[in-house]
Amino acid sequence: MARFIILRIIQALITLIVISMVIFALARASGDPVMLIAPPMATLEDIEVIRKHLGLDKSLPEQYWVFLKNMSRGDLGESIRNRIDVTSLIAQRLPNTVSLSISAIALSLIISLILGVTAACKFGTWMDGGVKFLAILGQALPSFWLAIVAIYIFAVWLGWFPTSGMGTPAHFVLPVLTLSFFSLPIFTRLIRSSMLEVLGSEYVKLARIKGLSEGMVVWKHALRNAIIPLLTAAGISFGMIVTGAVIIETVFAWPGLGRLMAEAMIGRDFPVIQASVMLVAVVVLLVNLLVDITYAYVDPRIRY
Amino acid sequence: MSSELAIARAGFGKRVRHIWQTSRRLPLIPIIILAALVFVAIFADLITPYPPNEMSLTDRLTPPFFMPEGSTAHLLGTDTIGRDILSRMIFGARISLSVALMVIAIATVIGTVLGMIAGYRRGRVDAVLMRVTDAALAFPALLIALLLGVVLGPSFKTVVLALSALSWAPYTRMMRGEVMRVREEDFVAQARVIGSSPARILITHLFPNVVNTLIVLMTMSVGLVILIEASLSFLGAGIPPPTPSWGSMVADGRNLFDRAWWISLFPSLAIGSVVLSGNFLGDWIRDKMDPRLRQV
Repeated sequence: MARFIILRIIQALITLIVISMVIFALARASGDPVMLIAPPMATLEDIEVIRKHLGLDKSLPEQYWVFLKNMSRGDLGESIRNRIDVTSLIAQRLPNTVSLSISAIALSLIISLILGVTAACKFGTWMDGGVKFLAILGQALPSFWLAIVAIYIFAVWLGWFPTSGMGTPAHFVLPVLTLSFFSLPIFTRLIRSSMLEVLGSEYVKLARIKGLSEGMVVWKHALRNAIIPLLTAAGISFGMIVTGAVIIETVFAWPGLGRLMAEAMIGRDFPVIQASVMLVAVVVLLVNLLVDITYAYVDPRIRY
Repeated sequence: MSSELAIARAGFGKRVRHIWQTSRRLPLIPIIILAALVFVAIFADLITPYPPNEMSLTDRLTPPFFMPEGSTAHLLGTDTIGRDILSRMIFGARISLSVALMVIAIATVIGTVLGMIAGYRRGRVDAVLMRVTDAALAFPALLIALLLGVVLGPSFKTVVLALSALSWAPYTRMMRGEVMRVREEDFVAQARVIGSSPARILITHLFPNVVNTLIVLMTMSVGLVILIEASLSFLGAGIPPPTPSWGSMVADGRNLFDRAWWISLFPSLAIGSVVLSGNFLGDWIRDKMDPRLRQV
C-alpha cells in the first residue's frame, strides 16, 4: 500500500510538471509582458531595464524555474485589469465557489441516490424508463439555458428566489440546483447500474431469505456495496463541476472563481487566468490522487 | 458468415424482409435529426430566407409565426436588431457541425497514433504517454479553451484548437487498451515471425481489429463537442460575433427571456436535440458494433 501511494504521488507530481510547462509556454506565447507593462513613451533602454527586472533576459529553463518558484510561494503576479494582486483576488472569490460546488455535489448525490436506487428496484417499469430518460435528457440539454429558464420561472414569474447575486440562503437555491445538473445524470446512471448488479448478487438473496425488510435490504445491504463505483466518478465529476461553475456563476452573477475566469477571458487578463487554471489543475490532481488511494484501500486488487 | 450466405441464397423477398427487419431497429428520429443538421449545414446559403447577419430595424423582436403578432416572413421570429432567427440557426448549424467534425478528426488521428504506439511499444514510451494522457483527461476542456482564448483571442481556430487540445486523450486511452488486447493474438505473433515491420503490423493487422471501437467513440463524442462549443460561445469565448453560433444566440436572448423567449429557446432546442440524437446514435452503434462496451 505504501509503495502504491508513493508511486501514485510521483505520478501526480509528473502530471503537475507537465501542466505547469504547458501553462508556462502559453504565458510566453501570450505576448511580450514587457510591452504590457512599459509605458507607451518608454525608450529602448527603459525596456531593457524592465526586461532585466522581470528576469526575461535569462534563459528559458531559468525563467521556468523562477516561474515555478513564484507559483509555489503563492506569488501569482498582478491582475492586468484591476491591478490587484492575483492571490488575494482568488482568495476573495474561492470560498464562494467552494460553498456553491460542495452544496451542488451534495444535492446531486442525494437526488441521484434516490433516483438511481428507485430505478434499479423498479427495473423495467415506467419509473425506470422515466429516470433513464431524465438522465439522458440532463446530459443533452445545455445547462446555461436551463439556468436561464429557471431564473425566469422561479425568480421573475413566481418571485420565489432572487435572480442573481449572493447573500441570503435563498440566493443559493437556483445556482445550486442548476449546478447539480452537471453531475446528476452521470451519478444517477452509475448508481442505477451498480445497484442492478448488486441486487442480483448472492448476499442480497441471503438477506432476503433471512427475512429482512425490503427497505433494509435495499438501503443498507445493497446500497453500501453499490456506492463504491461512485468513488471513481467523484474525480470526473469534479472536473464537470468546475466547468459548470464557470457557466452557472456567469449566469447568476455569482462572485466566485468561475465568473472570475470568464471575466478574465473576456478582459484577456492572463495572470488571473493562468493562476486560476493552475489552481484548478492542482485541486483536480489532488482529488484524483485521493480517489485512487481510497479506491486502492477499499479494493485491494487495484494496488500494484 | 453462414447466415449471410443463407440470406444471399434466399430469394429477393427474404432479402428485403431482412433489410426491413434490421432497419426497423434503427434509431430513426436521431438519424433524421442528424441528417437534417448535415443537410442544412451544407446548403445553408441556398435555404436560408435571409442572410444570417442582415438587420432589419423595422422588424425588431418579431415573434414566431404562430404567435398573434408573428408573421410568416420570419418563421421563428427576429432578435433585438431584427436578424432572422431561423437563418441564423441554419448558419449556426454549419458552425456546430464543422467544429465537431474538425475536432473529432484531429482527436482521432492524434489519439489513434499515440494510443497504438503506447499499446504496442509499452515500457517507457507507454509510461510517458500515459502520464500526459492522464493530465489531459483530468483537465476540464472549458478551462483550456478559456486559457487559449486569452492567449490567442476568440476565433474559430481557437475553439477547434482548444477542444482538440484535450479530446485526443480518451482516444489514446481507448486505443492503447484495444491494441494491448489484440497484440497478444496469434496472428500478430505470426506477422512478427515472418518479419513484418512494427508499422506494418500496426496498420495492416492491428488497426482493422480496433476500428469498431474507434467509430463508436467518434460517434459518441459528437454531442459532447457540440455542447462544449455552445457553452464556450455562450460565455463569449467561442466563435466571435456576428458569426451566428447556437451558444451565442442563447446568450443574446438571455436578458429578454420574458419578452422575447424565442431568441434563446429555439437555439437551445437545436443544441439539445442534436446532442441527444448524437448520444442516442452513439449508444446504438456501440451496442451493435461492440457489445463489450455496453453499460446499463
